[in-house]
Amino acid sequence: MKLGFTLAEEAFRHECAAWLEEQLSGPFRAIRGVTGLVACVEQRLEWERALGRARWSVIGWPARYGGRDASLAEQVIFAEEYARAGAPGRMGHLGVELAGPTILQFGTDAQRERFLPKIAAGEEFWCQGYSEPNAGSDLASVRTRARLEHGPDGDEWVIDGQKTWTSLAQFAQWIFVVCRSEEGSRGPAGLSYLLVPMQQKGVTIRPIRQITGEEEFNEIFFDGARTRAGYCVGRPGDGWKVAMGTLAFERGVSTLAQQMRFRNEFDQLVAAARANGTARDPLIRQRIAEAWIGLRIMRYSALRMLSGGREGALPPEALTYKIYWASWRRRLGELAMDVLGPAGEIARAEPYEFDDLPRMFLASRSDTIYAGTNEIQRNIIAERALGLPREPRGDR
Amino acid sequence: MDFTFTEEQTMSAQALGELLGDVCTGADLRALADGTLAGGAGRWQRLAAIGLPGALGPESAGGMGLTEADFVLLAEETGRAALPEPLVAHAGVAVPMLAELAAAGVSGGVPEALERAVSGAACVVVAHPLEDYIAGVDTAELALAGAGVGQVALCRRDELRLLPQASLDPLQPLVRITLPAGRESLLPGAPQVAEGLWRRARMRTMVFAAAQMLGLAARMVGIAVSYAGERRQFGRPIGANQAIKHHLATVQVKLEFARPVVYAAAAMLADAFQAGGPAAALPPLVEARVLQAKLAAADAADLAARTAIQVHGAIGYSWELDLQFYAKRAWALAALNGNRNQMQRRIQELLFGGGIETGPDRLFTN
Repeated sequence: MKLGFTLAEEAFRHECAAWLEEQLSGPFRAIRGVTGLVACVEQRLEWERALGRARWSVIGWPARYGGRDASLAEQVIFAEEYARAGAPGRMGHLGVELAGPTILQFGTDAQRERFLPKIAAGEEFWCQGYSEPNAGSDLASVRTRARLEHGPDGDEWVIDGQKTWTSLAQFAQWIFVVCRSEEGSRGPAGLSYLLVPMQQKGVTIRPIRQITGEEEFNEIFFDGARTRAGYCVGRPGDGWKVAMGTLAFERGVSTLAQQMRFRNEFDQLVAAARANGTARDPLIRQRIAEAWIGLRIMRYSALRMLSGGREGALPPEALTYKIYWASWRRRLGELAMDVLGPAGEIARAEPYEFDDLPRMFLASRSDTIYAGTNEIQRNIIAERALGLPREPRGDR
Repeated sequence: MDFTFTEEQTMSAQALGELLGDVCTGADLRALADGTLAGGAGRWQRLAAIGLPGALGPESAGGMGLTEADFVLLAEETGRAALPEPLVAHAGVAVPMLAELAAAGVSGGVPEALERAVSGAACVVVAHPLEDYIAGVDTAELALAGAGVGQVALCRRDELRLLPQASLDPLQPLVRITLPAGRESLLPGAPQVAEGLWRRARMRTMVFAAAQMLGLAARMVGIAVSYAGERRQFGRPIGANQAIKHHLATVQVKLEFARPVVYAAAAMLADAFQAGGPAAALPPLVEARVLQAKLAAADAADLAARTAIQVHGAIGYSWELDLQFYAKRAWALAALNGNRNQMQRRIQELLFGGGIETGPDRLFTN
């Protein structure tokens, strides 16, 4: 065990910090500290391209695809500095954290060459086609169909169906879609993981408004949408394994960057409590201290989890991580509203736009729902970590 | 001791519930929030037609002469429907305050305002001097306000400087108001009476907020229960899973244990107000009961909101589900007039040297 950083790592930290400071006090100062999910989109897309040009977009990836082959410690350092600098939320995070690592691990060389450099460069953005109206927690019951059609210009997948709760689809060029490619198959068998271009006739997007007033997620309708036969990740019919691999990435290194964002939210909350005097309230102080303790626990747990895991395969303790951070942040949101009082209920702008902390309170209600609800997480912990009997299921 | 309501009390609550079931549906709330329907489709007139604005008004002024104990179930129904109009602030707080002012011999437009308020011709809200924000001003014609708790003024809405803003509850926006400068108190020589009036207004606001939160909690449990029975995952309704059932059962426990606290607080408040006028001190135990009622109901409503969203999954945090209107109202009411911490702190003060006697022989004497 070694908890500190080496001199070389500290030098790397200075390098990251210097670049971030230069950019965020210079050309990108307008988006410093922006946390809104769909705020300042154009500038944040430009920011993604700047990260790509300077090779800061995907530092853990191999250099040939636009990364730096950075070690885990370096990735931790970059995530810390990124948050400390108040750099904006990553518009490209679904490509950088989910699509990219999945293609890197499960894709073919041709797929890697085609997709990874564009993700790294901030030239192509991604979204995730998992949930359907009738397949939420029960993801394996997806009904979106894909069939392979033979044509003169090569074989193509033709996709019909509907996906929902698709974040940032309105800005994406590509979507990774879990679909049923074997007719009559049920459950996890017979699914394929396809990479599908968004800008085509067969794809329609309808935005869905959230309780925060923001329109970040969407419904996607596939009506004879097409993609090349070669854009299936893993073998056709093996999509479930790939889909689960993506979820593991969602719970991997990206959690470190997320913790730094939590740290910023925590700091904002403490500043608000000092400013309005609630920091003197013993009950509030106690809850702030609990939040701080939770933040440290998450940090240590993530580092332990990431050091113990093999490439793409997280150790069993990782199963407990999602429920912990989601519940922690939801409590942080509640604490923020208690700190702010009725002033926190006042919108910053019409028609329904809120400051960071109240918006975080509303948005945090989704943390214990997306990427596996708390109830699903508890089942996973009970069944996979503890080996308890599986929950009985009905007929699909 | 009798913890039941009379047939008349339950019948009138039921009638209000049915009326609101017709004129205050989720679709009505959505239309209002999306700005496609102005004026609430005559809801206020419908409520006035059954005499509700004057529920707590004296019979001599055309009111129904009801007490806080009678009104608590009606307030609960308005909560269940997330009624956008400030009926509770008007009928439950402003009208009795106007009646108390009139009884104290105050003129200055008070008897006229009382009469118009009782009939529902004018909507009146109460802007407590110690509150930074108030809800419901947008539909009110008059407001009882004061530069401090030592004075009471009756202002037309156009005299107040209002800072209207969108707020968390999209159907009852909070407003910060500023009183016109140099406004005379209606009770120039009697600041103690003014203080007493504000204290009573605050107590009524809190106990009726608690009642509304009971209604909201019950409504949200109902919405979540019906969704859990319909939504199928893994080949069966999600409500068949213990994880879901237990969540909802936990809310139900909290709600049922909050209910008697709220009802008892309303009954005690009614008795205390009848026993003494505005200048009389409020027994500490009565105040503690009211605080406890607000606290217990807010806890139940908050848990109901959080649980109902969780049970719905992703659709639970989408704008398209009516659930958000009930959840946001519950959160707004919970924060109004002091949150959980402030309730607890005041109860502590009342317990430790604030006049509540403790000890085995005192525990259940009231």
